[in-house]
Amino acid sequence: MTVDFIFDSLNKFFPDFAGNSLFLILSMLIPIGALLGFITVYGFGVIYSEIKVSSFMQDKTGPMGQGPGLHAGKWGLLQPVADGLKLFMKEDIIPATADRPLFILAPFLIFIGALTGFIAVPFGETIIITDMNIGIFYIVGIGSLAVIALILAGWSSNNKWALYGGMRSAAQIISYEIPAGISLVAVIMLASSLSMQDIISYQSGGIFNWIIFDNPFMPIVFIIFFISTLAETNRTPFDLPESESELVAGFVTEYSGTRYALFFLSEYANMFIVCAVSATAFFGGWQSPFPNFLNSPAWSVVWMLIKTLSLVFVMIWIRWTVPRLRVDQLMHMCWKVFIPIGLFNIFGVAVWTVMRG
Amino acid sequence: MIKFFKDIFVASSTIAQGMSITMKHFLGAKNRIATLQYPEERWPRPERNIGFDHGSYNVIRSRLHVDMDDCIGCLKCERACPVDCIKIETVKAPDRGEDIKDVKHVGITSNGSRKAMVVTRFDIDMTECCYCNLCTYPCPEECIFMTGGPNSKKHPIDYEFSEPDRSDLIYRFAKPGTKEGMDKLADDNKAEA
Repeated sequence: MTVDFIFDSLNKFFPDFAGNSLFLILSMLIPIGALLGFITVYGFGVIYSEIKVSSFMQDKTGPMGQGPGLHAGKWGLLQPVADGLKLFMKEDIIPATADRPLFILAPFLIFIGALTGFIAVPFGETIIITDMNIGIFYIVGIGSLAVIALILAGWSSNNKWALYGGMRSAAQIISYEIPAGISLVAVIMLASSLSMQDIISYQSGGIFNWIIFDNPFMPIVFIIFFISTLAETNRTPFDLPESESELVAGFVTEYSGTRYALFFLSEYANMFIVCAVSATAFFGGWQSPFPNFLNSPAWSVVWMLIKTLSLVFVMIWIRWTVPRLRVDQLMHMCWKVFIPIGLFNIFGVAVWTVMRG
Repeated sequence: MIKFFKDIFVASSTIAQGMSITMKHFLGAKNRIATLQYPEERWPRPERNIGFDHGSYNVIRSRLHVDMDDCIGCLKCERACPVDCIKIETVKAPDRGEDIKDVKHVGITSNGSRKAMVVTRFDIDMTECCYCNLCTYPCPEECIFMTGGPNSKKHPIDYEFSEPDRSDLIYRFAKPGTKEGMDKLADDNKAEA
């Protein structure tokens, strides 16, 4: 959508070179650049808020300072910048016994997964890079690319901690794909489309048209989906792959510097993607909560960001509340609780939809 | 089957309880924060009484201070110091009890004694100081003292000693005079000798 729009406007502004293949490349590069910029800014913001929220929840102040150069800027605002600079200036260590090509490939693979997931995220009424007709399915599919990267990172490090982390992540992410998918099936049944924009337009017209209030099963569906996405992004209480009190750092044990930064950034980018999917599928995406209130394309971006970032905040909030699960509890929760309830929800939603007519 | 739903209920209610606690702390963070922004804010110093009578024995040995206007250069503190961390150099004053502006010498102490000596150097090496307080007892003018306790009236208590360089911990109490003044003082002494 955006690519076509940029390509068309480039053709319109430079009619002499219309249809130039350079324009096509340019119209692809511009969204990618914008996306990378957005991820960086969002990463700094969310890392800062993670530090601050965790501190406030523990009655601390977090990073504080009086100005740039002293400590970390006013209210510690420069702390993520300092963290990033530190990571990028660190020595790049590759263990001698590691599988070198795979070890190098893993962080890029996980970042590719995070970056390409953004393609189908509807930022606003008109701002979506590609409105695929299988958008939500695409994001779920790309999201499970992370498991390859994690197991690759864990295995190629040639380290027992890392291998344990990689194996755990494989078990965890693959298991939790199922309840997440089942939850989305219920949404797709209502919207009768896989396209993100179609799902959002199904929910137009105020807060009571949102899918989460559509029928009594949807809040449960949302809770199952949200918890499953927590597990998929390896956030606490599902951070078993990198559980620092058991496995040193899990699959990132051997990584340092820029490669570690890529893992770190991908985790936060994945958080944004899954929260954007939650906002799209359950909270009306870029729709305003009130009909005909601030319902313009520009405001739609604001509404989308508000919804997504609130869900990101809930993720941070959960992280600093709930302790980590045991592996058997994790599997029990997925296979014995979420999947049966999720399947029952699909049945319930189906019956409800039929009865409603 | 009942246990299954009961477990789910227990899990969700306890998580909700925990999350409400963290949210309470997050929202009330402004009033609860325990961290002190150290260089800007400090905890109040606790009252400390190590003696029998609060007034006279409450000596907090935080750091030595010398009131140079009262120092008569008798060297008693230097001799009393068990670790020799006090170094004093004096020259004879040209006129006993007269002020000398150039070297910031005050002729008469607050006790009314007329000074016979001009103290040109009074260094205390606080890295060597063992805080025994022995230098303060012989002082006839009570001008060398540990800050804190009853001496807080004379000099504010200061217990933070961190310095970027170790040589900054050698406290030079003698007021630096102008070069002409110091030379003149030395010449006068030489001529007299």
